[in-house]
Amino acid sequence: MSNMNMVQALNSTLDMKMSKDDSIILLGEDIGKDGGVFRVTDGLQAKFGPERVIDTPLVELGIVGMAIGMAVYGMKPVPEIQFQDFIYTAMDQIINQMAKIRYRTGGKITVPLVLRTPYGGGIRGGLYHSQSGESYFVHTAGLTVVTPSNPYDARGLLSASLELGDPVIFLEPKRLYRAQKMEVPDNDYKVEIGKANLVHQGDSVTIVTYGSMVPTVASAVEKNGVDADVLDLRTLSPVDIDAISASVKKTGRVVIVHEAPRTLGMGAELSAMISERMIEYLYAPILRVTGPDTPFPYRLEEYYLPNEKRIMAAVNRVLEFR
Amino acid sequence: MTEIVNEQMEKEKHIRGLGAMILSRTLDKKIITAQRQGRVGFYTPTMGQEAAQVGLSMALDKDDLIYEYYRDVPMMLHRGVPIEIILNQVFGNRDDLAKGRQMPSHLVARDYNFMSVPSPVATNLPLAVGTAYAKVYRKEKGIVVASFGDGSTSTPDFHAAMNMAAVFNLPILFFCENNGWAISTPVEKQTKTEIWKKADAYGMVGMKADGNNLVEMYKTAQQAVEHVRSGKGPVLLEARCYRMGPHSTSDDPTKYQTDIVLDGSEKDPIVVSQNALKAIGLVNDQLIEKVRAESQRIVNEKFDQQEKIPPPDPETIFQDVYAKETWILREEREEIL
Repeated sequence: MSNMNMVQALNSTLDMKMSKDDSIILLGEDIGKDGGVFRVTDGLQAKFGPERVIDTPLVELGIVGMAIGMAVYGMKPVPEIQFQDFIYTAMDQIINQMAKIRYRTGGKITVPLVLRTPYGGGIRGGLYHSQSGESYFVHTAGLTVVTPSNPYDARGLLSASLELGDPVIFLEPKRLYRAQKMEVPDNDYKVEIGKANLVHQGDSVTIVTYGSMVPTVASAVEKNGVDADVLDLRTLSPVDIDAISASVKKTGRVVIVHEAPRTLGMGAELSAMISERMIEYLYAPILRVTGPDTPFPYRLEEYYLPNEKRIMAAVNRVLEFR
Repeated sequence: MTEIVNEQMEKEKHIRGLGAMILSRTLDKKIITAQRQGRVGFYTPTMGQEAAQVGLSMALDKDDLIYEYYRDVPMMLHRGVPIEIILNQVFGNRDDLAKGRQMPSHLVARDYNFMSVPSPVATNLPLAVGTAYAKVYRKEKGIVVASFGDGSTSTPDFHAAMNMAAVFNLPILFFCENNGWAISTPVEKQTKTEIWKKADAYGMVGMKADGNNLVEMYKTAQQAVEHVRSGKGPVLLEARCYRMGPHSTSDDPTKYQTDIVLDGSEKDPIVVSQNALKAIGLVNDQLIEKVRAESQRIVNEKFDQQEKIPPPDPETIFQDVYAKETWILREEREEIL
């Protein structure tokens, strides 16, 4: 066991996996000597060499395309996109290449890669260093989308992603990179992809959340003594419908919390899934607490991010609904 | 002695090359006609690009790997891809390697080192960079070829791939088949410079080849391939050729193109190449006639044979999205089928 934050958990996992498997190769902007702008790859170039930890030119579509070209040839690349906000020039590569190669080759060519990228706000990043674009990826068939909310899950999910055999969009909530230290096993354990985590148990309401919102929701629930199930999805595609069903059938009341804008966010899909299959169990409308449908502000970001006050208002509305 | 053997091998190489060109042209014409008869859904003809592709293919080895684009049928036939694989894809039938999922002309033949074709042009180029990097990393033999048309040179993917290949000094041959047209846009409206000259700005070697003459094309391709193979870095090779057909069977080039090169005319690369080979005494009319007749027989026979194969099982729609079917796909499959 070691006491570590999320950055250290990710770094030590890459180190461990690279030591065991020389087909794992890292590439991205400033990830080598500099160790990445958030230091997730710190020290890895010194240990594994510049051929395996590659500092690339500044071109997101090139980084992603190059990683795909390695993966289809039997490597396990881990490209890093410095901020998720910068990924959009690579969306053609992600949607039309990465996500479709297994399908368009009848399974003859596969793309085992893990695309790591920090996402979300709360670090005074403004419009272009704060976005939560998970819906773009979840909407694309062929992608698996994962987001950890603590150091233990970060290590276990990264390890599982590296062995999935399909492309994984690994979204790292940058606000949580150094927010929390916890005891993390040193061995190569896995957190199963597609399985949610029940981080708080209760019978009255189900709060579904993920990534950076997990600690915010957990603390709101604890401070206010809410009798809630809090589900940390951990995998956004495919979501753990069994865990959601079990909880919703018990509580009959649902609040969904995420940082991304409301319209067509994860909350929309989760709400539809729950309504379609469990309407007869529901006592109240499903409510969403999300970022607004605006670009992400710099100076006033605390108004953008869902907070305890907004979460509790939704929880109380759902609990009091008759 | 070795010299005589080598000379004989080179002669056979040229004859085989011309054979692949004629076979490809025969197949092209057959598919275009069949499309008009409603027997094939769509096709992007490759007529006019045979010498460019085959001339390059003659300079390649078995270990070399190709990121092809949607007009590279002649190269595939020359590299030994069975005509059945091509026809199964065109019909999208049960035996198609990609299970009938893509429009015709989007071929894959991984066992023959062809890496498959996406429709968005040039998006394969960055992949070629990654694969070349992996080859070097694993100390493997062989180079990577990425082929594309003149329109592709305007894309960000072309720029990204050219730049990265040069920065990492990778064994890639960027093969531009400049047929003069991107659907209705002529190359003069695509770029202000000659394409091969763009290489200089990236710090790599650029070459221009006569893609209408098999003998000349092969000579230039050999130099380009030799440069890449020797570890001196990537090359941009521009082959000038013609698009003798429409962009696709859905396109009418008479709307925008006045100087279409006709099948069998003096500019037709098959005629140019035949004449070049005749001039050095490698082929004669009798041999060419024999190859034509044999190609026609094979194409007719295989076409009728593969056309009879039924479409893929509907279940295949839901396969190969992921390694393992997700619960969402299972639910959707059960609802639809």
